[in-house]
Amino acid sequence: MTYRHVLLLSAVCVLALLAACSGRGPGEGPSELMAIVTPPHDNPFFKAEADAAAVKAIELGYQILVQTHDDDAHKQDQIIEMAIAKGAVAIILDNAGVDASIAAVQKAKNAGVPSFLIDREINATGIAVSQIVSNNYQGASLGGQEFVRLMGEKGNYFELTGRESDSNAVTRSRGFHDVIDKYPDMKMVARQAANWSQTEGFQKIETMLQANPGVQGVIAGNDTMALGAVAALKAAGREDVIVVGFDGTPDAIEAVRAGDLKATVLQPAWRIAEMAVEQAHQYLTTSETGQPEKQSIDCILVTPENADQFELFRRKEQ
Amino acid sequence: MTEAGLGTLLFRLRALLALFVLVVIFSLLSPAFLTSSNLVILVKHVAINALLAIGMTFVILTGGIDLSVGSVAGLAGMVAGGLISEGLVLETFGVKVYFHVWLVVVIALLAGMLVGAVNGILVTRFRVAPFIATLGMLYVARGFALLRSDGATFANLSGDPALNNTGFPWLGAGTLLYIPVVIWIMILLAAVAAFVAGKTPFGRRVYAIGGNERAALLSGVRVNRVKLAVYVISGFCSALAGIVIASQLVAAHPATGETFELNAIAAVVLGGTSLFGGRGSIGGTIIGALVIGVLADGLVLLGVSEFWQIAIKGVVIVLAVVIDQSQERS
Repeated sequence: MTYRHVLLLSAVCVLALLAACSGRGPGEGPSELMAIVTPPHDNPFFKAEADAAAVKAIELGYQILVQTHDDDAHKQDQIIEMAIAKGAVAIILDNAGVDASIAAVQKAKNAGVPSFLIDREINATGIAVSQIVSNNYQGASLGGQEFVRLMGEKGNYFELTGRESDSNAVTRSRGFHDVIDKYPDMKMVARQAANWSQTEGFQKIETMLQANPGVQGVIAGNDTMALGAVAALKAAGREDVIVVGFDGTPDAIEAVRAGDLKATVLQPAWRIAEMAVEQAHQYLTTSETGQPEKQSIDCILVTPENADQFELFRRKEQ
Repeated sequence: MTEAGLGTLLFRLRALLALFVLVVIFSLLSPAFLTSSNLVILVKHVAINALLAIGMTFVILTGGIDLSVGSVAGLAGMVAGGLISEGLVLETFGVKVYFHVWLVVVIALLAGMLVGAVNGILVTRFRVAPFIATLGMLYVARGFALLRSDGATFANLSGDPALNNTGFPWLGAGTLLYIPVVIWIMILLAAVAAFVAGKTPFGRRVYAIGGNERAALLSGVRVNRVKLAVYVISGFCSALAGIVIASQLVAAHPATGETFELNAIAAVVLGGTSLFGGRGSIGGTIIGALVIGVLADGLVLLGVSEFWQIAIKGVVIVLAVVIDQSQERS
């Protein structure tokens, strides 16, 4: 019995060693290493971001290290320590929390590794070199305006919000309401958090419909929740309800083209990630980016008329 | 037997009482609650958790636990979604095979049972504690679900008439005799499970193992075989839940089912099944799932904030276990 345990243990050790050796690949080689750290890639948004940064970095002659932090600030901290230890020259980061990420970015700075933040800001300036985000407030205003127009400036509607602890959920909701609340005949009859999730969006809309069968519109803080709402409305035979989303995911753009989703707001995530890599390259070669630290990039409204012009969080190249 | 039966009955009655109180409260607070259409929607939502919890009940009755149910649901959805939207690519022959929807469902169910079998083998042959074995599987199955599509969603699973693979959304959105198919699936599964647990030799062995594994072994029960079977049952139920979700959304997302294991365990415990095994029932589990579902949907109907919903759910679960413990002592 004990002999078998020893055997098993040694087998595990050998496997772990093998894994450690083979995992080294991208970190070594003649050129410099750029670390790309984002939330998990099961959200196409973060995957597109990481892909865009990776493509641009390789194009500029860098080695890349792509990692995800699961929105866990502790895991993010460990990844950044690892990137520093591997000798990364720059970090492209979509961070795991406005406050919780400051220490990790500071740690990189102290080690002489500049950080370029994308998508989400941190609550501090002067630590990261660039903070490039899409203008969530402007995007939500666009979405809100289109929603009001589609509704004919009146009617009852639901709002689905993202995870209530996420600052983007709050900003988008504020952007929607700063526009919609100007129209006294637009009445929000229910609001629920569906935590960015399609399953939750589906179930919550089904239940909300029971309390308010006469609803005419749904505005959602992101596209996955909006698509959950679309599925629930279809199941209830209420295809007439107007649904507007946010993000511009490929699935949502497909749904806009098909008419299931009436509009969404595209975040230019692809371009933002490219910009971060370009600025990192510029900073590494000339020690400045030529841009202010905080940069905000406008979002674009996607409607059935222009849906064909977009792909993967960017405008198609002509 | 009569004493045990009476004890179970009391447990069921208590869970039923909780359910009744919740229904009365929500009916008074929201006129939309006690309508037939809302109740149908509510039971539809309960069904997903109930499917997972039915499988979980068998595992917990043997004194085990299955933490991998949510991941297996996600994986099964991805298996089904992939087969419908991409087909099976046979690279050596250079062809793509598309299956009929029923075959897709069967394959996805088999995938879930296979994962369950691996759990069972880890627990029986390799003597890994169920908590650890299925915790490992929670990650492994989730990893494979993500790998299947490189993290992407399989959208629009309506199928293509040209490929003869349409009809998948029927499971999630279809109705039979005015009642959604999902609810029929739950009723059927619950009835079969209650029969198996209560009326068959296999069911008696499950209870015997949970009551006293050593005694069961000495009296000739093939303990390992029964344990393997309960993990396979749990894998089957999880896969079924995952398939139904993918069908409802007409899309398969690899992160589907995260934290579902906790809801399933909560339903089982609320239903009066002891976490130490040997005591509990399928009927209790269904009532437990109904309590959680009524609470969740009722609070949404009332427009209560998400944070309160989470906190209230926690309080109800802990209260139920406190009552369970005090009964154990007395």
